[in-house]
Amino acid sequence: MPADNETLRKQIIEAIASQHRPTVTVLSSLLAIQDAIGYIPNEAIEEVAVQQDTTVNAVFGVASFYPNFRFTPPNNHSIEVCWGPTCHLEGSSNILQAVLDYLDLKEEGDTQDGEFSFRFNTCLGACSQAPVISLNHELFGKISPDESIKLIKEIKSSEPKHI
Amino acid sequence: MTEKINLTIDGKEIQAQPGSMIIQAAMDNGMYIPYLCYYPGMKPYGACRMCVVKAEAPTPDGSYRSLPGSPASCTTPISEGMRVETNTDELISLRKGIMELLISEHPHGCLNCHRIDLCGPTDVCLRHVTVNDRCVTCPKNERCELKDTVRYMEMELTTPLTYNNRHLPLEVKDPFWDMDMNLCIVCSRCVRACDEVRVDQAITLKERSGRSIIGTSKGISLLESGCEFCGACIDVCPTGAIVERDYKWDKAEVKTTTTCPHCPVGCQTSLDINKRNKLIRSIPVREAEANQGMTCFKGKFGLDYANNRNRIKTPLIKKNGELVEASWPEALDLVASKLSQFKGNSYSLISSDRGTNEDHFIAQKFTRQIMQSNNIDFSSNTNSEIFDNLSSMIGHSSATNTIWNLLKTDLFVIVSSNITEQHNVLGVPIKQAISKGSKAIIIDPRETELSRFADHWIKPNINTEHILIGGIIRSIIDQSLENHDFASKSCENFDEFRSSVWDFDLSRVSKETGVSQEEIQDLAKTISESTATSFLYSLDTISSEIKESTSTAIIDLALLTGNVENPGSGIYPLFTGPNEQGARDMGCVPNFGPGYSHISETGIGLGELDNACQTGDIKALHIIGNQASISSESGQKIKNALDKVEFLVVHESFENEFTAKADVVFPSSLFAEKDGTFTNLERRIHKVNPALGNKFDEDEDWRILCQLATRMGANNFNYSNSEEVFKELSPFLLSTNDINFQKISQSGQIYSVKRKLKFKPINISLNLNSISSDEFPMILTRGRILEESKSDAKIQLINDKNSITRNEIIELNSQDALNNNILEGDSIKIIGDNFELSGIAHLNGINSGIVSTTQLFGSIIEKVQEHKTEDPMLHFDQLNLIPVRIEKPE
Repeated sequence: MPADNETLRKQIIEAIASQHRPTVTVLSSLLAIQDAIGYIPNEAIEEVAVQQDTTVNAVFGVASFYPNFRFTPPNNHSIEVCWGPTCHLEGSSNILQAVLDYLDLKEEGDTQDGEFSFRFNTCLGACSQAPVISLNHELFGKISPDESIKLIKEIKSSEPKHI
Repeated sequence: MTEKINLTIDGKEIQAQPGSMIIQAAMDNGMYIPYLCYYPGMKPYGACRMCVVKAEAPTPDGSYRSLPGSPASCTTPISEGMRVETNTDELISLRKGIMELLISEHPHGCLNCHRIDLCGPTDVCLRHVTVNDRCVTCPKNERCELKDTVRYMEMELTTPLTYNNRHLPLEVKDPFWDMDMNLCIVCSRCVRACDEVRVDQAITLKERSGRSIIGTSKGISLLESGCEFCGACIDVCPTGAIVERDYKWDKAEVKTTTTCPHCPVGCQTSLDINKRNKLIRSIPVREAEANQGMTCFKGKFGLDYANNRNRIKTPLIKKNGELVEASWPEALDLVASKLSQFKGNSYSLISSDRGTNEDHFIAQKFTRQIMQSNNIDFSSNTNSEIFDNLSSMIGHSSATNTIWNLLKTDLFVIVSSNITEQHNVLGVPIKQAISKGSKAIIIDPRETELSRFADHWIKPNINTEHILIGGIIRSIIDQSLENHDFASKSCENFDEFRSSVWDFDLSRVSKETGVSQEEIQDLAKTISESTATSFLYSLDTISSEIKESTSTAIIDLALLTGNVENPGSGIYPLFTGPNEQGARDMGCVPNFGPGYSHISETGIGLGELDNACQTGDIKALHIIGNQASISSESGQKIKNALDKVEFLVVHESFENEFTAKADVVFPSSLFAEKDGTFTNLERRIHKVNPALGNKFDEDEDWRILCQLATRMGANNFNYSNSEEVFKELSPFLLSTNDINFQKISQSGQIYSVKRKLKFKPINISLNLNSISSDEFPMILTRGRILEESKSDAKIQLINDKNSITRNEIIELNSQDALNNNILEGDSIKIIGDNFELSGIAHLNGINSGIVSTTQLFGSIIEKVQEHKTEDPMLHFDQLNLIPVRIEKPE
């Protein structure tokens, strides 16, 4: 087995073990892993199956049910644009379109250059600041399409944040 | 018996079991509510909504309260006085709407077409349904539940022909079955059968809402996903989404229920025979009490050898060193005249473990009465040591309880048995019970499927199992945890037995077995605290010298804790041959006669046969159908001794190494051509029915023997059919009730036995003949499991079929590794007599002197699939212990 596979497994096992909650489930373990390494690799499915005493098929059944789990590593930076009702009223559709155009994407997804993972978000929980976007999990409120693109250009040159 | 609940369905007053759902109550009373996801025996699910009803329940003030909406009858429990309507106009239109949604993802042009029964695959279609979308091109056509349901509902032609084709690729790379998920209606019956019934979870429901579909984790092959290839998912699929690959499009002309010839569970299976008299499918019978709709890869996919035309078609006689075809009278005359010269102790007969009770009865009658010899045995009688003491200790040499009684067991004690492979269906209630909270203690050096379910998996030193169990008994007696009333009052010999256990000093037991004293005490506590314990043992890994003491210790432990015949408890000695129980009952053994009657002189059995042939004590040998046992150890020995035998008669269906050396070969019938009875491990008598009829000039073994006997002057071998033989043998089955041959149903009939419980003293008999030697100092224990999450199972495509290629991990003790100069991760080679295995060393704390490896079950399935026209048992690698040495390649 290659060495980085070993490291990955170690990270996964640590993530599963780090859950300080009364009941550890398949779902909570998957969430902990996605928080720790940003996606659910095959090794994660296997480790959760072993830890929860079930089969890989059952774990994958749970993981694939939730669109929020991703099975491939995310790109360097994450972009989320809120399209909840408040943001929508405050013009988030313009931001969405501007960001999609900038990233050359048609819908949610990862850019070819490996820089950005882009998702819609149904509510980022900051309606008073609408419209809101989240760049690498940092919120920016009362924002315009142009400002969004400017910020995205800025984070592109910053250190990659995998999660 | 609990009181039944009264309710009204469609104005008809019926009674039903409390706790059942409306749909069950209706079905039990012969009423039909359309359904697709419901399946008897599985938990209510409510996925398809096809079984919607209107229901109202009485309130305390006498009025009726309707249940909100239109509840699904498969998830709504019945209550007293309930009124249910299943066929109102509103419900019918609701159901049609639901069905339209369902078939909007299934090709349905034919489903609701009025011409469906008139069309052929190449006809011009008035509705322009493309050929690929027609029902006639679906493998499940004419046995499709979806089609039947749509037809029942009289759907109109209004739905558009277009449907949402999922465009999913067909999955045809795994052994035995094809999946076309474009036909799936996502009822999840297969997922539930795999999870709830078989407890495997080899398939799952992936994704959700519109994209939800059946599959494995990330689409991995079934070979590594934990599939045991039992075909339960195929049997429950209501559409053509999962089907058997072989004879996929063939239609059944005749269906005959018979007994599977592969193991002593005696699965009842319905064989589909096509119009060219080929066995095309095997579908386990849900109503049968022995298997309850279950079967395994052998019973589902391992019967195709009955179609193999490469058979022995006529009698063969050896002339000038070559076998040439002969007529029946010629061959029978020759054998009759020859055998007359060998009457007495120089004659021996080995009956087949697949013989019917009738075959066994006539075989022993022929040997004892005509040939005046007691040299009779059956081919799988290699484990007789574990049966020798059953009669004296529990009154009869058979299991003390039924297979499905295991569902009620709280604790399983399983000693050296590979149940999920050897007696697969027996493993089903065990796995179900464990998944519902029962515990299991596995005593086995090998990793088997059940050891993954175990709470305690004990790996004692090789051949010390009896000492370990003795230690557990001692610990129970020391702590006064035994069921004293039962042991002293219901069983004989308790005091003598109790004084025999003082030898089993725990520190000594711990030293000999390598199991710590605390663990032994813990096991003693677990076993004595359990209210219902079942003991299962086949002692595969134990040397024959100590098999008897091991089985004695196990039965003593069962008697001591009072676990014999109560619900959930029992003693299950396990054997391999499908009708070994019958062979013993019929006295087809050297040491007793039919009905376990005493005989004056014990004959030569299978164990001593090779020696007796070599020394010339046996001059004439008569072997009946032993295809499957040739590869066994005793088969090998006998094969080497055949040259010394003066006259060899073989009854066989296929040519093999025995027929090659025979002087006369009689063509013998296969299981699907026989009419007779099998007795399974719970003493249940099952019917074996001639599903295929005679193909060539073969005959049943008992008929051949009768003809020989008549030619040799006997007049009491005139039977016109197997029913007459059964009539003669049935008094030997210790039965209080008469068993009518014609009326044996698919549930079979258990004959009762008298119990007599008696302890037998045990002693520490060390096995001094170690199975390892100077040349091969280590012992290899091989395990086999369904799925190994963390191993590197690589699936490669070979000839468009999935195939497992991986580096086996070989576990060995760190100290042994040091002595052999082996480091973690080194490639090493394990070499035994006729055995070689390469792999990667993994050092851990397993017992010194042991190397261990665990294969994937898929590797066996690949082999069986590769040789599918042959008997699967020929390619089934038993997990014996092998003496080996370790080598490190340069």
